[in-house]
Amino acid sequence: MRRVVVTGLGAVTPLGLGVKAYWSGLASGTCALRPLTVIETESFRCRIGGEVPEAVGGSWRRTRADRLAIAAADEALADAGLGEPERQGAALVVGAVGGGMLEAEAWYWAASRGRRARALPAVRSMLPCAHADTLAARFRLGGPRHTVVTACSSGAVALAEAAALIEAGVAETALAGGVDSITRICFMGFNALKLLDPAPCRPFDRDRRGMSIGEGAGFVVLEEETRARARGARVYAELAGYGMTTDAYHVTAPEPDGEGMARAIQAALAQAREEPAAVGYANAHGTGTPQNDRVEARALERVFGEGGLLVSSTKSMIGHTMAAAGSLEAIATVLALGHRVVPPTANLDIPDPEVHFDCVARVSRESAVDCAISNSFGFGGQNVTLLFRRR
Amino acid sequence: MEPKEIIDELKTMLVSRLKFDPRRAAETTEATPLAKGVEGSIGLDSLDFIELSIAIEERFGVTMDESEDLTQHFVSFATLSQFIAGKLPGA
Amino acid sequence: MSAPVRVVITGVGVVNAAIVGDSAALGAFLAAPRPASGVAEGGVARVPSSVLPGLIDAGDARRLSRVCQLSIAAARLAVRESRIDAGGGLGLVIGTEFGDLASTHVFADGFLERGPAGLSALLFPNTVMNTMAATTAIAVGARELTLTLNAPTVAGELAVARGAAAVASGRARAVLAGGVDEIDPVVERHLPDLGFGGDTLGEGAAFVVLESRATAEARGATILGEIAAATWRALPARPWGVGRQRRSQAVTAALDHAGIAAEDVGAVYGSASGDRARDAWEAAVLGAALGASTPPVARLARLLGRHAGLGVLRVAAAAWTARSGLLPAAGAPPTGLTRVASPTGLVHGLARGGAHVALVVGGP
Repeated sequence: MRRVVVTGLGAVTPLGLGVKAYWSGLASGTCALRPLTVIETESFRCRIGGEVPEAVGGSWRRTRADRLAIAAADEALADAGLGEPERQGAALVVGAVGGGMLEAEAWYWAASRGRRARALPAVRSMLPCAHADTLAARFRLGGPRHTVVTACSSGAVALAEAAALIEAGVAETALAGGVDSITRICFMGFNALKLLDPAPCRPFDRDRRGMSIGEGAGFVVLEEETRARARGARVYAELAGYGMTTDAYHVTAPEPDGEGMARAIQAALAQAREEPAAVGYANAHGTGTPQNDRVEARALERVFGEGGLLVSSTKSMIGHTMAAAGSLEAIATVLALGHRVVPPTANLDIPDPEVHFDCVARVSRESAVDCAISNSFGFGGQNVTLLFRRR
Repeated sequence: MEPKEIIDELKTMLVSRLKFDPRRAAETTEATPLAKGVEGSIGLDSLDFIELSIAIEERFGVTMDESEDLTQHFVSFATLSQFIAGKLPGA
Repeated sequence: MSAPVRVVITGVGVVNAAIVGDSAALGAFLAAPRPASGVAEGGVARVPSSVLPGLIDAGDARRLSRVCQLSIAAARLAVRESRIDAGGGLGLVIGTEFGDLASTHVFADGFLERGPAGLSALLFPNTVMNTMAATTAIAVGARELTLTLNAPTVAGELAVARGAAAVASGRARAVLAGGVDEIDPVVERHLPDLGFGGDTLGEGAAFVVLESRATAEARGATILGEIAAATWRALPARPWGVGRQRRSQAVTAALDHAGIAAEDVGAVYGSASGDRARDAWEAAVLGAALGASTPPVARLARLLGRHAGLGVLRVAAAAWTARSGLLPAAGAPPTGLTRVASPTGLVHGLARGGAHVALVVGGP
């Protein structure tokens, strides 16, 4: 049986550049949600979000999202110590939503205001699929390549897709992850839907009022286990199972009883041949909207009962990083397993009495968890759960 | 503003914002149920109501407080126009 | 060890500039191919405005953007032909190159014209490319895995390949695999800025229902064709660039998996669409892969315009070719038909940047 293991991590987040800054922020419960600067926010109710705080290097010809992706992918590949031959055959799966929309917007805004703006080279990279071609060329990744766009679950789906390729023997190694930059359309849209909390989001809090948007890129290197061990790679964890289901209920609202979400969790458990009791930690989708957290809690309860499962939301600290969320939160989950520390849910003052789990309020918890799940429940009812375990 | 004027504006919004066919919008009365799932309703769901709120805020200059449960006001155009009239300056 | 799963096609749905219907409508077009209106004039092959109102209920249409309507219309045709019961488990994979850019710019226009109050909550979900999959899943009741794949040129072929892989691996009992694209006039104006040029573009949707041969036979479904192999790989190229390598892993792997040799391929449905450099690259790759025995290559984009729906249509067309022995649009004029030497076909797609897909398709 081919097992898929994680051998490299790369992250660029509102907590800083690199996995070290990311984990340091997560473990200390640091909330990185601040007034946005990369776009104009005047006259909008919510004006904050999770922005990558430092300048991300790279050519001005590249979109911001491409530069975030390159930085994270670079770190992951270096972390895994993947050489030329492995990269040659490596598959690449990217989860994306906005693509280079930030730059396309700037150009469209200028054009609509009567300034005949010649499109910058960056506009050619507008579509989500541009990241994959950019990364493949930059890092000479020669294996199967595709881009998944499944809204908020894109980053998680990318990891599941890559694992499937390795399980099927199509590839031995893969780079997988998601990326999104802040965009005006995303910011304005969530504002218009009144889904944003003007203050930093408070997942699982009784008085939560909405989500916060964010940006970032998270990439992992996945490999077939025996080959990874044979080349002396460091194994962070095994990606032992994944489940993908669809609510087919409504374009934005989740199915109220969490049935689709529960099925995704159960499918991940089934593939990994794990019982619910074996799971010690669930990294929640946890956006902080009244609806999502309620339905997610219901789904978790359907599967895990009211047991000792620890649940926390990374979005409480970095916001909803859209296509990057699934992969960045998978990375948080893997790091939690490795460090034996469950990161907290920040901004959690009064736990919602309807949520019957310990949501690790504000302060991280030392916990010898061997098996953990990461949930990503996208717009349009796209439910994905990844299951990781120590190896 | 008279309730009838408010209702006429709401019917315009059905077309301009909610993409209803003009004839269908014209057939709507002040008593027609709005919410999907209610018999004889024009079938609006949660997203439609958000869109309608944005349009109402823009057109009438009123603010919808989403921490409040507004469901009861969105039952029909009659209830909605009353709600709006109550929020207009000078009400 | 259990026998490998054989993936078959049991339903087809097409809505584009020249075809509306199931496998019969597709077959009628392929038997008498002609350029869709718009193509001959060097423009975009657009779906006429009279088509969708006949396929989508007005009440539903209110909440569905045009590209979502195209997707749902074609998906429903395929599901109806296959008579598959979604309740038994149905996955959905949709490939698209442009997604719902029409809704995206209208959403932006609302803000640019009237500020925050001009934003449409109804349009916002359409600014993410999975909107066609989200709405189609609701329309047909697909509750297993749902994927939207974005790729230049090969999105449709890729969606079928991915769907076939899901059935072959046992992950899904059945998959509705489709492709859809719309060319909004505003988007069309800006295509050069987006890096496009030279291609004949079209719009439309096409879906195929994929399931295992065992499942199809057990429920008495009509089998239209078999996907003997479906692979996707990549060739080295700069983003938006045309590469130089001709040696194709995708075709080799596909032939290998199908257990056939290059000489066994009787027909090719290629992705050439008027982009000279890319078309030449594809021809070189096919030549290298199939050698001296390169069979006739159908280039349907000359008739229907390139779009993700066409990529899926090619798979259904390859099944038709296997059944009929005929290949359309393989020579000059593109309205001609060629007799094929063998029923096994290769559906091939190669994009600028290097994304590469190959499927081996046979008859029932």
